[in-house]
Amino acid sequence: MSTANEMMNCEQYRQAVAAEPAFDGGADHVSVCAECQVFRDEMRALDAGIAKALQLELPALTLPELPTIDVQDNDAQDKVVSLASRRSLPKPRWIALAASVMLAAVIGIRMIAGVDNISLADEVLAHLDHDPAALVVSTTPVSDERLIKVVPESMAHMDHSAGLITYAHSCVINGKTVPHLVIQGELGPITILLMPEEKIAAAQTLDGDNVHGVLLPVGNGSIAIIGARDEPLERIEKSVLSSVAWST
Amino acid sequence: MNSSRTDAARRQKFDQLVVVFHADMYRYAAWLCRDKAIAEDVVQEALLRAWKSLDALRDEAAAKHWLLTIVRRENARHFERRRLETVDIDNLTASQSALLAEAPDEQRDELREAIYELEDEYREPLVLQVMMGYSTTEIAALMGLKQGAVLTRLHRARLKLKDKVARDNQAANKQE
Repeated sequence: MSTANEMMNCEQYRQAVAAEPAFDGGADHVSVCAECQVFRDEMRALDAGIAKALQLELPALTLPELPTIDVQDNDAQDKVVSLASRRSLPKPRWIALAASVMLAAVIGIRMIAGVDNISLADEVLAHLDHDPAALVVSTTPVSDERLIKVVPESMAHMDHSAGLITYAHSCVINGKTVPHLVIQGELGPITILLMPEEKIAAAQTLDGDNVHGVLLPVGNGSIAIIGARDEPLERIEKSVLSSVAWST
Repeated sequence: MNSSRTDAARRQKFDQLVVVFHADMYRYAAWLCRDKAIAEDVVQEALLRAWKSLDALRDEAAAKHWLLTIVRRENARHFERRRLETVDIDNLTASQSALLAEAPDEQRDELREAIYELEDEYREPLVLQVMMGYSTTEIAALMGLKQGAVLTRLHRARLKLKDKVARDNQAANKQE
């Protein structure tokens, strides 16, 4: 049924509708293809049936015995948390303040002692808490416009396949402005720092208070990936590496 | 005094989450593990973990995603070494059967069995999309897949269900 002028052919249209029956693209095609109209209607009817079939009867709600939570008890919070919880400071602005002081201290020491005395790994770890907004469990993705602003094409190309990117800001690491991104992992936010000008010889592991990560050599630069202590990062590493390409 | 007020507020926040999301948590768990008793255990463990980690949830809008992620993880922990598997619908345990045995509705039951028999990799994104209202981007993020892979799985899942329903109808027509 497809003709050369149509945006979609039958196969493309059916794939799209079978993946998302509410798909409303391909209007040019479906308006002239009776078979695809039938297929679309079948898929929508099937979906209504699926929705009905999935609605299982609920058991009575019983809560487990809930232990008393000590807000200072990091251990209780470590397992399924955002990175922010690994420190027990109660208010985010205090975290930001403390992180700013720490960052200033790192920069100050660098200026006094010389750049080589503070490693890139130390600076990356010190940077983690600079902005409480970066440490929030969220399902709201940053816009494409925001992502392109923070990761300009002149620096690198990055698509959304690395995961749900919920934070994107330009930050200063080692005197250079670099993209600071956050994607949502299984246990909370995962920090990603793209550093196209920070060449390293080999991968390094990063080990902080209840966080772990890796600094990966990528061409003439490096990428830092840091998550909560138990966060499995291997898959994230692969997806980040495949979703980023330096422009220079 | 302050501490008890904080505890009460924390408990209230937790109770509200449970009321709003318990059904989604249970149904998601049930369709992940395909066993009523195990689903209830998974939800209990997930609620306990959520309670302990409640302070990590700062964005209320993310609560559903957060809770479902915990359920998913608890289920994986329960079946740590389970491989993707198909289930012989004629050879179920009582607890598995209980998931399917509700008030009879022939069409719904046929489809429910077909969903039950789908491989995990196809069933889970379908449940997230149809029951939870997740977009394919959100499913990709939760399952750690690329969006293209999610679209492919959803497409295949529906075609499998469509074929199964057609085969069942054909068999029923022959019997008549």
